[in-house]
Amino acid sequence: MADLRAPALGAAAGAVVALPLSLALTDRHFADASTALALSIVAGTLAASALAIQPLLARGRRIARHQLLGAVVLGLVLVHVGALFAESSSDAWFALSPDGPTRARMALIATLALFAVVALGALRTRLPLAPGTWRLLHGYLAVVVIALGIGHAVLTDGALDDAGTPVLLGLGAIGLLGVPAAHVARTRRARQRRPSSP
Amino acid sequence: MARVLQGSPIVAEVRRSWLLSLLLALLTAGIVVALVDSEVSGTGAENVGESGPERPAVTPEPGPDRAADAERVRRRCKATQSNPGGTNNYIPDAPPRDSLGSGFVITGRVRSADGCRPLDGVRVQVWLATETGGEQDNRASVRTGSDGRYRIETDPTVPQFGEPNIHVGYDDDEYGEVFIRRVVDLDDERAVVDLTLARDG
Repeated sequence: MADLRAPALGAAAGAVVALPLSLALTDRHFADASTALALSIVAGTLAASALAIQPLLARGRRIARHQLLGAVVLGLVLVHVGALFAESSSDAWFALSPDGPTRARMALIATLALFAVVALGALRTRLPLAPGTWRLLHGYLAVVVIALGIGHAVLTDGALDDAGTPVLLGLGAIGLLGVPAAHVARTRRARQRRPSSP
Repeated sequence: MARVLQGSPIVAEVRRSWLLSLLLALLTAGIVVALVDSEVSGTGAENVGESGPERPAVTPEPGPDRAADAERVRRRCKATQSNPGGTNNYIPDAPPRDSLGSGFVITGRVRSADGCRPLDGVRVQVWLATETGGEQDNRASVRTGSDGRYRIETDPTVPQFGEPNIHVGYDDDEYGEVFIRRVVDLDDERAVVDLTLARDG
């Protein structure tokens, strides 16, 4: 019997991307949106889906796909923010200011944590950190990115309202559960690799 | 014994994990403080949305009591303060318009801080994002009536940066400028933004 795990996981990942994206693209707010806002909505929606999948890709032996998706999330977030500046720079600067709304502050902290978690991943071998310390920091920052990134999306009125809210909460739950799962899997693997003491 | 423990890798590991725990606890506390310290819709952006039938304006009738009239003149009302984000997408001198569509109403009363009396003929500028365009497309100047009321109907609001918001501004010469950013809910039919204007100085 052929191994059905890979196609099943691929189909699940496809659903995680397709469901929120189809909700956003068919929402009336998307139909009213300018080109810049539409681009921002699509990039933000894809980033939310990617955040759910990303920790699960770190569970396996090879992490090339995890690294690639991390770079994709960073790119999507930059497109999301850049498109908002194109839509209205005064609103974008206001959102980033200390007077901005809570949802914008969540997005700002999540973006800073995303920069940090990507930098931590890229500089893994060059940083003077013990592997356990690195894993804990990387996992902590991932939790901040997922919790506040998805929280920002839930609090934002727009293309993912109504049915979009439980979908976003589901994405957040998958992502947040994936972080400890990946942490445990990688810690166990590291212990197995370590030579046993006499 | 203490000297032996000092160089032990176990002690180093425990010290490292304590430092890391402290760092993560401080980071978490900082994030919580940053979020709790923020206002849900931005600083000073209270929700001014309403639904249902419009309430009639209540204008105090001048009474026969001269003492009461004199007291009214002496009264001073607190001037409306601009709030952060009030000038977002502002373009000076919005064109005079009777309507920006239908389905949503922006209204309010304008009065003087000095004497609290309604101001007649004052120009108020409004701008907002609606189903038919962004904040820079949907802008209008309206004038108050003898009861200090202004009113303009617009198309239904849409979220602008995550929430429907209304801008109302005054920047003519007679009184100090005021720029307001307020929020409404998506299903609201009306925004009520009152202004109390004070002379400069």
